[in-house]
Amino acid sequence: MKILGRNRLITPVIIQTLKAHPVILALIALVVMFSGLYPERFLTPLNFSTILRQLVTLTLFALGPSIIVVTGSLDLSYVGIWMLGGILVWLLMPILGMFSILVIPLLGLATGLLIGVIQVKGKIPSFILTLSLLVTYWGLTATLSGGYPKPVRGYEFITAPLIPYLPTAFLWSIPIITAAVFIMNRTRIGTYLYAIGSNEEGVQLAGINVDKYKILAFTLSGLFTGIGSIILFPHLGSAAPVELLLDNVVWPLVAIVLGGTPLVGGSGGPQRTILGALTVAVVWRGLLLSLLQPEAIKLLVGLLLIVSIVVGARGLKGVTIT
Amino acid sequence: MVTPMDTPLLEVKGVSKTFDGVVRALDDVSIAARQNEIVGVVGENGAGKSTLMKILVGVYPPDKGELCYRGRKVPFPKNPKEAAKRGISMVYQEKGVIPRLKIYQFLLLGYEDKYVKFSRLQIDKMKKHAREILEELHVKCDAEDFMYELPLSTQKMVEIARAILSVRLERGDANVTPIIILDEPTAPLTVEERRELFSDILDMKKNASFIFVSHIIPEVMEFTDRVHVLRDGKLVAHYDSSKEKITEEDLFRAIVGRESSEYIYKPEVKRVVSEEVVLTVKNLTKNGCYYDTSFDLHKGECIGIFGPAGSGKSEIIKTIAGLISFEGGVLIVRGQKVKADELPHVRLGRGIGYFSGETGKELFLNWPIVKNISIVNIEKILLRKPIPVISFNAEKKMAEKIVKKLRIRAPSINTDCYSLSGGSKQKVSVGKWLERSPDILLLEDPTIGIDVGAREDIYETSLEMKKSGISMILVSDDPKEYSILCDKIMSIKDGRIQKVLSPENLRKVMAA
Repeated sequence: MKILGRNRLITPVIIQTLKAHPVILALIALVVMFSGLYPERFLTPLNFSTILRQLVTLTLFALGPSIIVVTGSLDLSYVGIWMLGGILVWLLMPILGMFSILVIPLLGLATGLLIGVIQVKGKIPSFILTLSLLVTYWGLTATLSGGYPKPVRGYEFITAPLIPYLPTAFLWSIPIITAAVFIMNRTRIGTYLYAIGSNEEGVQLAGINVDKYKILAFTLSGLFTGIGSIILFPHLGSAAPVELLLDNVVWPLVAIVLGGTPLVGGSGGPQRTILGALTVAVVWRGLLLSLLQPEAIKLLVGLLLIVSIVVGARGLKGVTIT
Repeated sequence: MVTPMDTPLLEVKGVSKTFDGVVRALDDVSIAARQNEIVGVVGENGAGKSTLMKILVGVYPPDKGELCYRGRKVPFPKNPKEAAKRGISMVYQEKGVIPRLKIYQFLLLGYEDKYVKFSRLQIDKMKKHAREILEELHVKCDAEDFMYELPLSTQKMVEIARAILSVRLERGDANVTPIIILDEPTAPLTVEERRELFSDILDMKKNASFIFVSHIIPEVMEFTDRVHVLRDGKLVAHYDSSKEKITEEDLFRAIVGRESSEYIYKPEVKRVVSEEVVLTVKNLTKNGCYYDTSFDLHKGECIGIFGPAGSGKSEIIKTIAGLISFEGGVLIVRGQKVKADELPHVRLGRGIGYFSGETGKELFLNWPIVKNISIVNIEKILLRKPIPVISFNAEKKMAEKIVKKLRIRAPSINTDCYSLSGGSKQKVSVGKWLERSPDILLLEDPTIGIDVGAREDIYETSLEMKKSGISMILVSDDPKEYSILCDKIMSIKDGRIQKVLSPENLRKVMAA
C-alpha cells in the first residue's frame, strides 16, 4: 500500500516533467543505447568526466544566446567574444597582470550593448548582424595575435581539480547558470523578454518599452558569454585562440534548440538549454567512442540540428510562426 | 456569353463548415453572383465572411454544400489555381502586394511559363501583354514601375487586374467574366483613396463580377447591387437594392441582430463627472486620417467617438495611445503637453492605457492566464528585498481575484490563453487593465466578436472602473455600446467631428 501511495504521487510528476521536457526521453535513450553498445568504453568515470567538461563548454557558450532566442532573435557573437577576449587578455597581461581576465566580461557587455543598439535602431535581423560581428572579431583576433595562438599562463588555478572526475569548471558554471535561470524566471526583465518573443505587438500595447528590453537582452547575453568565458578561457586551454571553429558556433545552437527553446521565441530558456547541452554532450561522446569517422559525426550533428529545429518549430501553440 | 441573364454566374448552395468539430463557422449558407454585378457580403468580425471566401478560393474544404458555375455543378476548388479555373479569384485584404516587383512582373507572376521561348523569358512580350491589360482595365500606371511606387489605391487596382488576368489565363479565354472576391479592400486606405478605388471598380464592372466583403455599411450601400448579410455563420438577410429601398439602419440591424433597440442604458449610473480635466485634445490633425479634433476629457468621464469604419475614429484613439503620431495640434495629458511621437510605454507612464478587442493582439496566447494578467502589473507583485523578485504567490492571488471578479470561465489560472473562448480571452485582457487601473483607459472595440453574456460582464466592469474615477474614450462599431458606457458622444465623418450627442440623443437618432 505504501508503495502504491508513493507511486500515485510520483508518476504524475514524472509524466508532467517528461511532457514538458521530451528531450529527457532522448537523453535516457541515448545513454542506454551507448551503454549497451560499448559499456566498457562509455560507462567509465573518465568518460562521464569528459561529458561534463563538454557540457560546461556548451552551456557557457549557449547560456547568453538562449536568452536572445527566447525573444525570437539570434546571437551568434559568443565565440567571437571568447576569441577576442582571449587575445585581449594576452595583450593586457603585461599591464594589468591577473586582472586582465576581467576584460572578457567587459568586452561581452560592450558587444552585447552594441549589438542591441544597432539591432533595435537599425532594425537589422540579428542573425546577420551577429554573424558579421563574429567574423569581424575573428579577423580582429587574428590581426592582433599575428596569426598564432598565444598561450597565457597564470589562470590555471581557476580550473584546478578539486574533486576527482568532477571538473572544477562545472562547479563554477553552476552559479552562472543559476543567475541566468533566476533572471529569466523570477524578475521583470525575464518576464518581459518571454513576452517579446511571444507577442511583440502585445508587449507594446501593454505599455512596455520594447526597444529597451531588447537592448537589455543582448547586453545580458554578451555579459553572460563574457563571464562564462572567464571559465572557458582556462577550461579550453589557457591560450588565446585564432582559429574560428565552426563546431564551437554550431554545437551551442544545437544545444539551445534541442533543449526546447524554439527559434521563434516565447518559450524555453536557459534552464532548458542545460538539458539540451547535456544531450549534445552525450551524443558527442557516444559518437566519438563509436570509432566513426569525424566527418560522419559532423554529418550526424548537422542532421540532429535539422531534426531538432523541425520538432521545436511545432512545439508552440497559439503562436504563429512567420 | 450564352448564359442567360437570370442564371447566376456563380452559386454557392447550403455551405456548412465546422472547425475542430466545435466551432460552427458557417451554417447552411447560400449566396450567388450574377454576370457583371457587385454583390456585397457583410457581417461583423467572426460572422463567417472570411471562412466563406476561403472556401470559394480553395483554402478550406467545406463540410457540406454545392458550387455551381454557370448553372452547372462543379466540385469545390482545392487551391487558388483550381478556383481560378472555375472563374474565381480573390484580392486579399493585405499582404497581397510584392513591393519590389515591377508591375508587369507582378501581374504575370506565376504565369511566366507562358512567355518562355528557348528557356528564356520574353520580357518584351510580357511588358506588352501587361500594358494591354492595364489599358483595357483603365489602370493608370506604367508597367515598368515598381509596385511600391504606386499609391495604395492603384496597388489595389493592379491586384484586381492580376486577379482578372489569372482567371483569363487559367481558363484560356479572354472573354470570360471572372468573379473577383474583394476582401475588405478599403481597410488600409484613406477617405480620398477609397473614393478613387470605388469609381475605378465601378468602371471595371463591365469586365467582371465582384463579391465585395466588408463590414463598412455606407460603402456597401453605395457600391453594391445586392447584399447578403451573415451573422454568426448564418445567412440572415438578403437585399436587392434594385428592387427594394434599404436604409443604413436596416442593414445595421441585420448585421448586429437582436439588440438594436433594447438598450440597457441606465441613467442613474452616469455622470459623476468632476470638473478636473485629465486630457485635452486641441485641433489634433493627422492628414488623411482626421482633422481639427478638439475635446476635453474629465475625470471619471467616458467619451465615445462614433462614426463609420474609416472615419478616423480608430486613428484618433491610437494617436492618444501613442501607437501613431499626429501632425498638427496639441495633446495635453494632465496639464502636460506631450510630444507627437511618444511611444505607448511613455504614454502609459502618463497614465494612459490602451485596450484593443482585436483577438490575439493583446494576449500572449502561449501563456497562462496568470501571466497575461500580471504583465502590466509586475510593479505590484515585486518583492523589493534585496533584489526585485517576482512573487508568484502575489501573482497568483492577483489573477484569482480578477478571474473571480470578471467570471472568467477557465479550468484554472494556469490555463493557457489559446484554449480559452473568445469572451474569456477578452475578459483576461480587460482584467489586466482593471487591475492596473490607469487614469485614462482607451477602449477600441472592447467587445468585438464575443457573446452577449461576456459583453455584459465587460460593460459592468467598465462602468465600475468609470465610477472609481477612471476616464475612458470608446471607439466601437456597435452604437449600443456608446449609449451604455458614454457620457458624451462625438460623431465623426471623413475625419471631422460633426456634432456632440448625449446618450439619449444617440438613442433617438438610432431609433429614428
